[in-house]
Amino acid sequence: MRRGIAATALVAALGVTLAACGSDSGSKDGGAKGSGELSGTVTWWDTSTVGSEDKVFKKVAEDFKKKHPKVTVKYVNVPFGEAQNKFKNAAQSGSGAPDVIRSEVAWTPEFADLGYLAPLDGTPALKNSEDFLKQAAASTHYKGKTYGVPQVIDSMGIFYNKKIFKEAGVEVPKTIDELKTVSAKIKQKTGKPGLYLRGDDAYWFLSFLYGEGGDLVDAEKKTVTVDNAAGVKGFKVVKDLVDSGAAKTDATDGWNNMQTAFKDGKVAMMINGPWAVSDTYAGKEFTDKANLGIAPVPAGSAGQGAPQGGHNLAVYAGSKNLDASYAFAEYMTSAETQATVAKELSLLPTRESVYIKPDVATNEMITFFKPVVDKAVERPWIPETGSLFAPLVTEYTKVLTGQTTPDAGAKATGDAYRKLLKDWK
Amino acid sequence: MAVDTPSQSVVKAAGDSVARGRSRGTGKPRGAAKRSLSTHWYAWAMVAPVTVVIAVIIGYPLVRGIYLSLTDANERNVARSIGVNEIPATYEFVGLDNYADALTGSQFLSTLGWTLLWTVSCVSVTFALGLTLANILNRRIAGRSFYRLLLILPWAVPGFVSVFAWRFLYNQDNGLLNKILAGGGIDAVPWLNDPTWAKFSVILVNVWLGVPFMMVALLGGLQSIPGELYEAAEMDGASAWQRFKHITMPGLSSVSTTVILLSTIWTFNMFPVIFLLTRGGPGEATQILVTQAYKFSFEVSPRDFAQSSTWGVLILVLLMLFAAVYRRVLRKQGEVW
Amino acid sequence: MTTTTTPPTRRAAAPSHRAVPNAPIRGRRSPLASVALHVTLIVASVIAVFPVLWVLLTSLKPAKYAITTDFFKETTLENYTNLLNDTPFLTWFANSLLVAGLTTVIGVFISATTGYAVSRFRFPGKRGLMWTLLITQMFPVAVLIVPIYNIMASMGLLNQPVGLVVTYLTIAVPFCAWMMKGFFDTIPREIDESGYVDGLTPFGTFWRLILPLAKPGIAVTAFYSFITAWGEVAYASAFMVGDENLTLAGGLQKFVNQYGAQWGPMAAASVLIAVPAALVFLFAQKHLVTGMSAGAVKG
Repeated sequence: MRRGIAATALVAALGVTLAACGSDSGSKDGGAKGSGELSGTVTWWDTSTVGSEDKVFKKVAEDFKKKHPKVTVKYVNVPFGEAQNKFKNAAQSGSGAPDVIRSEVAWTPEFADLGYLAPLDGTPALKNSEDFLKQAAASTHYKGKTYGVPQVIDSMGIFYNKKIFKEAGVEVPKTIDELKTVSAKIKQKTGKPGLYLRGDDAYWFLSFLYGEGGDLVDAEKKTVTVDNAAGVKGFKVVKDLVDSGAAKTDATDGWNNMQTAFKDGKVAMMINGPWAVSDTYAGKEFTDKANLGIAPVPAGSAGQGAPQGGHNLAVYAGSKNLDASYAFAEYMTSAETQATVAKELSLLPTRESVYIKPDVATNEMITFFKPVVDKAVERPWIPETGSLFAPLVTEYTKVLTGQTTPDAGAKATGDAYRKLLKDWK
Repeated sequence: MAVDTPSQSVVKAAGDSVARGRSRGTGKPRGAAKRSLSTHWYAWAMVAPVTVVIAVIIGYPLVRGIYLSLTDANERNVARSIGVNEIPATYEFVGLDNYADALTGSQFLSTLGWTLLWTVSCVSVTFALGLTLANILNRRIAGRSFYRLLLILPWAVPGFVSVFAWRFLYNQDNGLLNKILAGGGIDAVPWLNDPTWAKFSVILVNVWLGVPFMMVALLGGLQSIPGELYEAAEMDGASAWQRFKHITMPGLSSVSTTVILLSTIWTFNMFPVIFLLTRGGPGEATQILVTQAYKFSFEVSPRDFAQSSTWGVLILVLLMLFAAVYRRVLRKQGEVW
Repeated sequence: MTTTTTPPTRRAAAPSHRAVPNAPIRGRRSPLASVALHVTLIVASVIAVFPVLWVLLTSLKPAKYAITTDFFKETTLENYTNLLNDTPFLTWFANSLLVAGLTTVIGVFISATTGYAVSRFRFPGKRGLMWTLLITQMFPVAVLIVPIYNIMASMGLLNQPVGLVVTYLTIAVPFCAWMMKGFFDTIPREIDESGYVDGLTPFGTFWRLILPLAKPGIAVTAFYSFITAWGEVAYASAFMVGDENLTLAGGLQKFVNQYGAQWGPMAAASVLIAVPAALVFLFAQKHLVTGMSAGAVKG
C-alpha cells in the first residue's frame, strides 16, 4: 500500500514539475511602453523554405538586436503548409500566437477579417510606405485599414533547362500552342516530357485560367466567374496539355516531384516562382546557374497572365509587445533588409528603391521577374480569397485525373464559391 | 465485453450479471450491501484518473461538438480571444438543418460509401491474413520466433515513418515499386495519382499496418486452445479442415469478435494513413468521413465547425449503431459479449 | 459456440514464459507442406520488413541520391551526421522520449487501476464507464483538435509536454484499460481473497498481489501506449510550435512537407525514430502474445 501511494505521488509530482518547467509559449514579457527604449521578446513565425531560405531570414531577423539591443527576436520557422492553421489555432485561443507572422498575401485579408491582426496605420511599421510597389501593398488593405507590411512579391514564369532545349533544338514557347509543339519535339528528341504541371495545387492552374481570359471571381460585380465560358476553357487547356502528353502531372507530392524532376533534368520545363530559385540552383543540372532559363508563362487565347503573390509581415492583435513588433516589421521590410534578402535569395523586393541598388539591379532572376510582376494578375483581396483554393484544387485534380469533365469541374467549383460568397451571382 | 471464464468465482459471475443485463441503471447492488460503500470508495478512486481525463479532454469537446452541430458555427462567428479583445460568439441555433443537409446531400453519402468499402476491405483482408499467419506461426516450424519478430515489425515502427516509407515506394517516377515493375516490363502504375489505384494503395498500406495486431491477438487466441483437443480430433481421424472448422474457429470466436469490433472502429476512423498518404486525394477519391470532417474544420476557410461536428456526430452514431447491431447478432448466435 | 468451450485459462495466473507454447503436435507434415509454410512466412516477412528496410538503405545514401532506386550508392553516414549536427533532431527526440515515456508510465498505471476496478468490483457507474471506454474510441479525434486546443490553451498547457501527455492518455487509455480488465479477469479471485484475509486493502491487494501477476498485460499496454504517443502526428503538430518544443512527429514535417523535401535527413531521422520503438517492442514482445490473448481475447 505504501509503495502504491509513493508511486501515485511520484506521478503527480512529475506532472507538476513538468507543468512548471515547460517553456513559455510566445513572448509574454511585455515590452517597454511609451517613448522608452524597446525591450522584451518578439516572436516571429517565418514560413520560408527550410534548408535554403530559412537560414538567411533567421540571421537577418536576429540582427534586429543590433539596432535594439534589449529586444530578443525569437525566430520560429513554421512550414508554409501548416502556418495558416497554426496561426488560426493560436490566434483565436489567445495563447501561443507569435507577435509577428509572415502572412501570405491571401491570408492577410482573411486574418484581418477574423480580427487577428493589429491595424498598422500610423505606427512605425509603415515607415516610408510610399516606397512600396502599389501591387505589393494592395493585399495589406482591408476595410480602409492596413494590416500588413509587404515583405516580398512574386509571380510565376516558365523555368526551363537550356541544355535540354538546345539538345531538342527548340525555342522557348510563347503560347500554349507553341508549348505543345515544343513539348512534342522535346519528347521526340530526348524522350523527356516537356512541361511539369503540378496537379495538386490550383495555384499552378491560375496562369492557364488567366490566359483564357478567365478569373476566379469578379469582386466588383460580385460575380463568380470560374465557371463561365473562359473558366471552362481554362480547365480544358490544362486537361488537353496532360492528355496530349505535352505536360506531365502528379496528384500527390506535386511540389517535391516537380522539383526533383526538374533539378535532375528529367523534365524540360516547369512553371514556378522566385521562391523556387534557391532550391532549383541546388539541383545537379544547375550547378552551372546559367543553365536555368526563365521566360514568361505561355499566353493563352486571350493573352498572357500570371498570378501575383507574395508575403506580408503582419502583427498579431493580441501581441503583448506591439511596439517592438511594429519596429521589427519595419526593420524586416526596410530597403536595407530587402536588399540583403534579394541578393542572397533572389526574392523580389517590395520597395521601388531596392530595385535600383547595384546588387539587385544585376540579379538575373530579379530583373526577369520584375516586369512579370508588373503585369501579373492581382487577385481580389477579399477575406474569402484564401478560401477559393480548397474547392478549386479538388476539382482541378479531378479534371486532370479524369474523374470529372472540365465543364462539370468548373461548374462544381462555381457552386462551391456561391455557397461561400453568399448573395454573389 | 464481459466474458466470464469458468475460473471466476460464483460471486463474481453473479455480480457481472448486473453489468451484463440490459438494465441501463447504474446497478443498485442487489445484496452484499454491507461491503459496498468501502468497495465503491476504492473502485471510484481507482477509476477516477481515467474518468477525469476522459471527461475533460473528450467529454467536454464531445458535448460541445454535439451542440455545435445544431448551430451554424464557423470560424467567423465563434468566440475568440485575441489578447485583451474578446470577440463574443454570434452563431445561431439552426436545429437539425446540418443533419438534413448532410444526409440529403451527395457528399456525405458518397464519402460514406467509400468509407464502408474501405473499412470492410481493410478489416476482412487484415483478418484473413492475420488468421493465416497466426495459424502458421502456431505450428512447430523452424525459426518461428524470428518470423514472428519480423512480422510484428510494422506495428513497432511509428505510423508516420512507415507511411513516409510507403509514399517513397509508391512515388510514380522515382518509387521502387514502379522500378521493379519496369524491370518486369510493366508500365508505371499511378499508385497515388489515379483514383482507383489510390484507393487500392491506401487499403494496402492500412492492411500492412494492421496485420500484426490481428496476428498477435489471434495467435494468443490459438495458444489458449489446448493441444489435447487437436490430438483427440486427430485420433478420431478428423481432417485438417475439420479440425480448423470445429476446434480452431470456435476457440477463436471470442478473440475474433473483439478484434473485429476494435479494428472496425479503428479503421473507420483511420485518420493518419489517409491523411499522410493522399490527404484524401486525388480529388476526393480516398477521402473517408473522418478526413473530410477534419478538412471542414481545418483546411477549408472559414473553418466550418458546424459541419465538421455534424459529420463527427454522425460517425459516432454510425459506429454505435454498428456496435449495438454487432452485439445483438452475436447474442443471437449464442455469443456472450 | 460460447466461450465456455474454452477451458479455464489458468496459465495466465501462473505466467510461464513458455518459449514453445502448446502448439499442436503434428509430426506428419509433408516436406512439401513445410516448404510451403516457410515460403509463405518468408514472403510475408519480406513484405513486412521491406518498407522499413528501404528507408534504412536510403538513409545510408548521399542525400542527392535519396530519391533514386539504387539499393546502394556511395554508402555514407553523412545524413546522420548532418541530422545530428545541423538540426534540432536531438531536442525533438528528447521531447518525444519525455512525452512517450510519461504517457506510458501514467497510462499503464491508470489503465491498470481502472481495469482492476472494473474487473473486480461492482460499483455504480461501471457499466457507463465500460461504454465510455468503447465510445471514446469511436469519436473521431480529428474533429476534437480545435476544442482540445482551446482547453489546453485555457489551462496553459500548449507547447508543453504535459499537454500532449494528457491528450495521448485519452487515446491510449481506453484500449489499455479494456485490455487490463480482460487480463485481470483471468487472474483467479482467490488471490484477491487471500489478500483480504491477510488484511490488505483492495488497493494493497492490487498493488502487491495482482499487479506482479499481470506482467504480460502490463507489457502490452506499455507497448501500446508508447507506440501511440511516439507515432502520433495530428495533435503533435497542432499543439507544438518552435524548434525547442517540437516532438519528432512535428519536427519531421520540416524535412518533408508540401513545399520541400529533404529526403536524406528524413530517412536518417526515420531510422533513428524507429530504434526506441523497436527497443520497447523487443522488451514487450515476449509478453505480447500472452498479454494480448488474455487481454483482447477476454476483453
